[in-house]
Amino acid sequence: MIQVGLLTIEQKDSLVGQLCAPDSYFNPIQDINDNWIISIEEMEFCTVEEFMWVKGLPLIEYVPKPAIIENIF
Amino acid sequence: MAVVLGGKNGIYLASFAGPTPPPVLDPDAVAFLTAAGITDPTIESAINTLVVDMKTASIWTKMKAVYPFVGGTATTHKYNLKNPLDTNAAFRLTFNGGWTHSSTGAKPNGTNAFANSYLIPNVNLITDYASLHYYSRTSESELATGRGTAIGVRSTNVTVNNNLALIPRRFDNFSLFNATFTGVANELAYYNPETSGAGLFSGALTSLGSKIYKNGINLTTVNASANKNTPNLALYLGANNDKGASVIEYTLRESAFAGIADTLTDTETANLYTAVQAFNTTLGRQV
Repeated sequence: MIQVGLLTIEQKDSLVGQLCAPDSYFNPIQDINDNWIISIEEMEFCTVEEFMWVKGLPLIEYVPKPAIIENIF
Repeated sequence: MAVVLGGKNGIYLASFAGPTPPPVLDPDAVAFLTAAGITDPTIESAINTLVVDMKTASIWTKMKAVYPFVGGTATTHKYNLKNPLDTNAAFRLTFNGGWTHSSTGAKPNGTNAFANSYLIPNVNLITDYASLHYYSRTSESELATGRGTAIGVRSTNVTVNNNLALIPRRFDNFSLFNATFTGVANELAYYNPETSGAGLFSGALTSLGSKIYKNGINLTTVNASANKNTPNLALYLGANNDKGASVIEYTLRESAFAGIADTLTDTETANLYTAVQAFNTTLGRQV
């Protein structure tokens, strides 16, 4: 089971395009239920003072959106 | 200090052997090591040998982006060995999402991690030719329905799906080099079952079609006569750049080397594997 940090829309907006650590940017994505989430790695490795709150985000199980496969390849 | 004296007929020669001088490094290796701030002698030696080996094999010029992933941080991993400037134009990587950087390489999490290379095949490679190379340290297949693109881009400059993507071991144990330009299956090279996703996976787009390699050995060749107009968007590592609008097909494969190049021949691909395997063996992270 993959766990991820759950974001509000406002939190997501504040992270887009921002560094979470030197040379590493946040990348919020949506899960199968359209929740905005970031990864455990972004939470754990965040070193930017402004965003240290991500370390306290509630964790949820990550279920990806179903892949759109137009054909087997 | 050793002193050696010799000679005859009253003539004496003397040589003085001082401390062993530091090895002379290739200037391209020095430029990379300086940019990345790396002073570890083992890494210095490994990078230098990698550069020299690629030059000796005449593949250095064809390589446009080389990511050796040494030093263990995003800052050291971002640099392109071919042009170690901290700019998009130099194809320096920009890491996004959940990566784990360590001495063994750069590992995307398979959920939201990717890196933008800023290298656009249609612009930065010889027209209609390309090769992608990814040294994976992760054996397992991708999870669930994951395709797990190691290096890829999908654009629409020719068709709805104008692909260039290297997939080492998909969820269903297919390995693919997806160089499709009209969206039909016979334009890509694939094989299955792939029983290990670890090793150097390479894909090459040639004048005749597509080839996929593992550890320098050509496993499948597909001839296709389609319009090979390569994508006009940037290649991503760790996932697939989907038309510049989204990121899809995240992979969980740790990389200990990645490269983007003009098309390499079979011999050049084999020589690249030999060089990369020696490089990673020196660093104690070979698979």
